[in-house]
Amino acid sequence: MPLDIEAEFKDNKTLLLLVPSVEYNHVVVDNMKKLAKEDVCYITLNKTFDSLKEIFEKNKIDISKVVFVDAISKTIKNVPTQTKGCYYLSAPNSLTEISLQVSHFIKHGFDYIVFDSLTNLLIYQKKAPVAKFLSTIINKIADSNTKGVFYSLDSKAHEELIEEASMFVDKVVKVE
Amino acid sequence: MTKTIMVVDDEPDNITTVTSVLEANGYAVVSASNGDDCLEKLKTTKPELILMDIMMPGTPVRDVVKQITDIKIAYLSVVRTSEAEKEDLLGQANIVDFIQKPFDINELLAKVKELVG
Repeated sequence: MPLDIEAEFKDNKTLLLLVPSVEYNHVVVDNMKKLAKEDVCYITLNKTFDSLKEIFEKNKIDISKVVFVDAISKTIKNVPTQTKGCYYLSAPNSLTEISLQVSHFIKHGFDYIVFDSLTNLLIYQKKAPVAKFLSTIINKIADSNTKGVFYSLDSKAHEELIEEASMFVDKVVKVE
Repeated sequence: MTKTIMVVDDEPDNITTVTSVLEANGYAVVSASNGDDCLEKLKTTKPELILMDIMMPGTPVRDVVKQITDIKIAYLSVVRTSEAEKEDLLGQANIVDFIQKPFDINELLAKVKELVG
């Protein structure tokens, strides 16, 4: 059965979505179709802002209410700190910068924080700082009116982080 | 003559996999764990091709490749880019390919053969 993200959010504030790699982009697009009706902060660690814009526009998703936080483009090309609809962070391992952006958007009453993805954080950081970072931002979300979606690849290689993250979020959903 | 490929990746598993396949197919392999290590090793070796992960700790790859002007470089990328960004990256003089991760190791080998023979 496909994931009904709106239904999941009726009883939960934070979701960890475990997604098989073959379904990954499809699931991200499908969820965005529903979430983008409200104010969304989308933090990306695996696709550039331009790439996401391309994907969402191709799928006819209105992203006018979405602000992107792109933590990777600066490492591959010259970009400013901010453009219309996007903040560029210095690097994907800059957990402090990501955390500050999350606080900023929570403070501004955004409805959703989408984190894409936990798996990618592990490319750049060890498990312990990632787990600490995760608990911090989930606590920030818990103390606000914002809801959080955390994507992770459903993979044995990331079992330990998934287990750790499962303790912090309200619900873990294995997307089939 | 044996051709040399440099594999630059911060993931030791990726280096091991790519190295074993390339060596099994007659290539000599030099590995580097990031861009700075790559530049250091280029002082003493001149590979025919560099397979370089696009996202690594240390000096950003875009700055590393600016310092390599006379060797072909193929990017290995876990990052999804837009078509325009990809064209832009490939527009740099010695960047010859953009290989999306995860890649099929046989396809990678075919690319290497195509690029260096």
